[in-house]
Amino acid sequence: MKKRKKSIFNILLAATLAISIILSQSNPLQALIGKDTLTMITSPDYPPYEYYDTEGSGNIIGFDIDIANYIAKELKFKLNVIESDFNGLIPALATNRVDFVMAGMSPTPERLKNVDFSIIYYTAQDTIVAPKGSNLLKVQQLSGKTVGVQLGSIQEKNLKEIAKKVTGIQIKQLNRVPEAIQELKSKRIDAAIIENNVASGFAGSNPDLEFNVIPSQENSGSAIAFAKNSSLVPPFNRVLQKMKDNGTLKQLATKWFSKNTNIANLSSTEVKTGLNLDFSRISKDIPFILRGIPLTLLFTIISVFLGLIWGTVLSLLKISDIKPLQSLANAYTSVFRGTPLLLQLALVYYATPQLTGYNISALQAGVLTFTLNSGAYMSETIRGGIQAVDKGQSEASISMGIPKWLMMKDIILPQALKNILPALVNETIGLLKDSALVSTIGVVEILRSAQIVGANKYIYFEPLLFAGLIYYILVMGLTQSAFILEKRLRRSE
Amino acid sequence: MSEAIIRTEFLYKSFGKLDVLKDISTQINKGEVVAILGPSGSGKSTFLRCMNLLERPTKGQIYFKDQEITNPKINIAKIRTSLVMVFQHFNLFPHMTVLQNVTYAPIKVKGINKQQANSQGLELLKKVGLSEKADVYPSKLSGGQKQRVAIARALAMEPEMILFDEPTSALDPEMVKDVLEVMKQLAQTGITMAIVTHEMGFARSVASRIMFLDQGTLAEDTTPSEFFANPKCARAKIFLEKML
Repeated sequence: MKKRKKSIFNILLAATLAISIILSQSNPLQALIGKDTLTMITSPDYPPYEYYDTEGSGNIIGFDIDIANYIAKELKFKLNVIESDFNGLIPALATNRVDFVMAGMSPTPERLKNVDFSIIYYTAQDTIVAPKGSNLLKVQQLSGKTVGVQLGSIQEKNLKEIAKKVTGIQIKQLNRVPEAIQELKSKRIDAAIIENNVASGFAGSNPDLEFNVIPSQENSGSAIAFAKNSSLVPPFNRVLQKMKDNGTLKQLATKWFSKNTNIANLSSTEVKTGLNLDFSRISKDIPFILRGIPLTLLFTIISVFLGLIWGTVLSLLKISDIKPLQSLANAYTSVFRGTPLLLQLALVYYATPQLTGYNISALQAGVLTFTLNSGAYMSETIRGGIQAVDKGQSEASISMGIPKWLMMKDIILPQALKNILPALVNETIGLLKDSALVSTIGVVEILRSAQIVGANKYIYFEPLLFAGLIYYILVMGLTQSAFILEKRLRRSE
Repeated sequence: MSEAIIRTEFLYKSFGKLDVLKDISTQINKGEVVAILGPSGSGKSTFLRCMNLLERPTKGQIYFKDQEITNPKINIAKIRTSLVMVFQHFNLFPHMTVLQNVTYAPIKVKGINKQQANSQGLELLKKVGLSEKADVYPSKLSGGQKQRVAIARALAMEPEMILFDEPTSALDPEMVKDVLEVMKQLAQTGITMAIVTHEMGFARSVASRIMFLDQGTLAEDTTPSEFFANPKCARAKIFLEKML
């Protein structure tokens, strides 16, 4: 009886526990954040921390991604990973585009002014990478040398510290680590400061390089960055601590850092001169690069189409009789032609969420910016085209009582467009190639795909040359179709 | 007195400091074929272009069938559909076929359905002797053919009056005859016409009335026989001596 009572008690206890577990699973953190998906941003040109699996799934993988997935799972969130340049990571946090950043990023006092950091989850050491035989072991040896470093990275800050103590160091900031490697190989810099795990990958693929860990250098710890006062920091720290305690972090580090990161380069084991091209190194990555084509084409076509419409509207305003509209269109054109496209792109992408609350995607921001920009250029071309149409055409229309807008639409614009077709083709070709600019806000189009492959394989020229070939073929195709179109339009002559 | 189609009162037009038309008051009646003659720079084209307000007069009024069209409130586009113009340089729409040129305005402006406009257009092209050219583009036509298409295009609007602005001046001499022949036939249908021209033979044989402009004024306004046989003002005499 007593025993039975106890077992009933046990059942009740188990039931209570089960209920409490179920209750705890209806995630209070989700309720707090107000969504069930966390968005992480990273700069996936930094294997083994984060990079595109260009030979396989095409997804972003790496040490940081595994950690992020583990944390998201622990906190019962779905995880969405997006990408940008390293420079664009913190702005993305600041504009509430994303929930957190993982990119092998170190908590520095400067960054702490703008973002909050988790505890440090991994510590790497800085190394001096230099051409083989340079034998640069200590920072003092960097005196009088030009030293490359990734812009915005912790290594950049560390190098600046070094330069305070060691005289005569000339610092050259580069956007991405592969560029630093390429600068090294082309002897524009004498050395580069790169963290050990990344450096070993590059040295493995580039036998003409060597690296030495900087002995006394402070360690560069990686931490997760959040927007200031994010409520995610404590739960993330809790999970990170758990991962440290239960050995998960160590396991992941072994998984990612011990395997000789990339491998595809083994064909060139000896130091050669020249560009040393070997396209077989990217043969498996070609599908990944080709995936950028539809995006580039779609982007260009939509931008040209909308730009043409917007340019037409602007040109009509310019030739209208209404002075304020004229001045407005002229001012618009002068601003959009007078400032760099890259700047407009960054402003549209980063300012739109803050101004309107609408979280504009990188692709939308790209199309919007290119439409606004090419509209300004096209408006001038179209205006010229309209004014070049013989005055007799409008007089004939007017004398038959054809309303002004019909005259524009059916009589003047068709003739104007035919006249300016070559100029429009130029504009389209320009847009097609300028579309590479959207890679700076994280759209993986052709050029970005090529850079990603280059970063993964620690090589530079082959993917870029391949991308160049794709652009050239696309432009040729465009030129040819424009030629056919022009011939068709000219059949009336 | 017959019904006035166009009436001008104290019409002045200047371009900057240049006074092109000075105080022209006259009227053109229904069914009249008026040849407007004068030395170059006398203002005859400007006078014609004022009649459908392609040029806005500086001063004075113009009436179309007793409606003052110089009044800014008037819907001038509506008036112009019955007051169409044929130009020296034809001004056909180069991106449309001949038939499309003829049917565009009837369809889009007058709202005639496409089938009806097409059959009407083909009828008119037949009238000007170009029915086999319906589907070619204007660039394939000679100057004379272009001008005949332009006349068909004007007729397709079923206007009350046609304004001809030197319709044969841009043509090679051998083309002139065809166009004048078409205009002559047109004159016989009783439609009102005002023609700025240098074709004295045509003016003499086809026009029912001559207006002679000199330095922006209406120097003579009379019948062809009277004008050619017995011009009153000295300028007209000199003009005729040069032209004939």
